[in-house]
Amino acid sequence: MFAPTLKLRLIGAAFVAAALAGCASMTVRSYTERGAQFPHYTTYIWGTPDELTTGDPRLDNNPFFRDRVRADVDRLLAERGFKKVMAAPADLIVHYHASFHDRIDVNGIDREYGYCEDVDSCRPYIAEAGTLTIDLVDAKAKRLAWRGWAEGTVDGMVENQAYMEKKVDDAVTRIVENIPRR
Amino acid sequence: MTRFLRASLFLVPALALAACAPATMSVSSHVDPSANFTAYKTFSWGPADALPTGDPRLDANPQFKDQFQGAVERELSRKGLTQVTTGKPDLLIHYHANISERLNVTGIDRPYGYCIGQECSADVTTYEAGTLVLDVVDAKTNKLIWRGWSQDPVQKMLDSPDEMTRQINKAVPQMMKQYPKAF
Repeated sequence: MFAPTLKLRLIGAAFVAAALAGCASMTVRSYTERGAQFPHYTTYIWGTPDELTTGDPRLDNNPFFRDRVRADVDRLLAERGFKKVMAAPADLIVHYHASFHDRIDVNGIDREYGYCEDVDSCRPYIAEAGTLTIDLVDAKAKRLAWRGWAEGTVDGMVENQAYMEKKVDDAVTRIVENIPRR
Repeated sequence: MTRFLRASLFLVPALALAACAPATMSVSSHVDPSANFTAYKTFSWGPADALPTGDPRLDANPQFKDQFQGAVERELSRKGLTQVTTGKPDLLIHYHANISERLNVTGIDRPYGYCIGQECSADVTTYEAGTLVLDVVDAKTNKLIWRGWSQDPVQKMLDSPDEMTRQINKAVPQMMKQYPKAF
């Protein structure tokens, strides 16, 4: 009697783990403008916040989200030796933008090719996808010097403030890691 | 046992996937952990929100505005807060309603025997999701101290005034349950 129950639990746990792993992936990339003077950038200032909608009304003009992103960026840039200034001139102007939308994960189409094995991982489902972009603008040249972004599924993120803060911490940490070393 | 096993196997991924694609009403909130909610006694409505709702049927809709504001006022008074129309309130309340198109996947239950033939093919459908966002701002510091929201498929709500009343009266109390207790 115990053996099937245990097996059942293990299978159930594996399903949940697989489904949640599918919800938790994050891709982090960046782009550095040719000619960007990274060894010479020392100071930065926050640019005016963008007026664009995030695509999720819960996060539009949301100071809890905004303050977390900005505090993380400030802390990590300081660790990298950048200095925040409150008034121009600064070497870099920092902007960020967050964007959210529904995405279809069509795992189902891979079944015929054997890329997914069981009926659960092969079915299509809707995931909430989010992208966080951080821009560093060369203040003198008035050109984007560097853009880094993280994108991934954010299911259940907004509903849970602590989880949202953790996701923001993870994303900002991984984005800032890609800024060229000074 | 086998039947139980099958049923459980269906339930587990269904629960996991439900987390990925919520289609029923979801209510939650963000809160400023440093705010002292016991200090707030009075509130009034802040300036109306200038953002479009995303649906012309809801933009500047007085019926919606009155019903929604009425429901919020009821819940706030239950929390011990008094509405003031003159003088300086402790709290300013703002709200924003938004309707946006979301995606859903249907017809994927074949392996569990819940659909037959054509019904089983996976279809991606769109639905209208409504989000009601309620912001509570400390009037002195002009800082947001609490944001609550409710999300729901809203097709029926916009089709009939009675349904709108019903949905508002369901969403607002649930949303306000999230508001920190002041006592």
